[in-house]
Amino acid sequence: MASTGRRRLLRGAAATSLAYLARPARARATDYASAAEVLDAIDRLEADVDGRLAAIAREVAGARDFATSVGADHAGHRAARLRLRRRLKLPAAGPPFTPAAAESSLARLREVQQRLVHAHAEGLPALGNAAGVDLLTRHMVDASRHLTVIDLWMEGEEQGG
Amino acid sequence: MAEAVLPTPRRDFVVRLARAAGVAPAVLGLLEGTGTALARAKDETDVAILGAALAIEHHAIALYEAGLQRGLFPAGLRAYAVEFRGDHLGHRDTQIAIMEERGARPPAARSRYELGRLVPGDEFVRQALQIEVYAQEAYTALMSRIDTRDYLLSAAFILVDEVRHMTVWRRVLGLRIY
Repeated sequence: MASTGRRRLLRGAAATSLAYLARPARARATDYASAAEVLDAIDRLEADVDGRLAAIAREVAGARDFATSVGADHAGHRAARLRLRRRLKLPAAGPPFTPAAAESSLARLREVQQRLVHAHAEGLPALGNAAGVDLLTRHMVDASRHLTVIDLWMEGEEQGG
Repeated sequence: MAEAVLPTPRRDFVVRLARAAGVAPAVLGLLEGTGTALARAKDETDVAILGAALAIEHHAIALYEAGLQRGLFPAGLRAYAVEFRGDHLGHRDTQIAIMEERGARPPAARSRYELGRLVPGDEFVRQALQIEVYAQEAYTALMSRIDTRDYLLSAAFILVDEVRHMTVWRRVLGLRIY
């Protein structure tokens, strides 16, 4: 199943993550000031992913199972984040974010999904709470898996022309 | 007594591999839920976790090296193996740098790893998947114990890589990925 396209994507992903590991590049990471800011960013990006994925699933029947699965994961994550907000005595999440236009671009979906993964990773140091770090780490694992599925999906699209 | 940080079936698997990888007893105890808390000082906690993480990375590198040198990965998947080995080398070097920066001595790779029976093809991909699952589970379990901001951020991005490796190998083996 290896393909030039996938390898390129994997190389890109590896380069991105390792760039974050390198000292000088780390400064590029978003420096969240508070747990509330992290959770707000995640709420917004997750809703953006949901909107884009729903738009794609409306056009591509093969995407529906994935969209349903991601939607279920996100519903669980949202509920858990809400409990975390209460535990940390943070204000409730703002009104649900709706993407301006329900684009069905896979490339844009990937971009937003990657930002969601990064928001989890870069947000961990701002949480200041071990239980919160544990929770968002587990959510980040799901988000990273979703990102890889999207990468594999894009590879399939490339192979299929 | 420390709270078990992994569910039982996963824990058994992780602990078995952790022992094989030479993970420090303090962190091993934390993973299996039988150990007491790690050292109190911030740097000491992180150094214990860094040591465990390095043991995992050394083990993963040894497995990928063996697979690549002996041609155990299916031909079409070799490029993935090369890339994933590269990621693990990067993770190793990053964590060595962090450890040295803190004045600690990073554990060296063992001269020999017990990798079990090395069967080419899907069976070897399954072995690679196992070590990735192990790495993912261990990093996930230990993240909330990391005290310093810079290492927490690095470990998070390392974990993102481990999940990617795991998901690709699961897909290759026809296992569910969503």
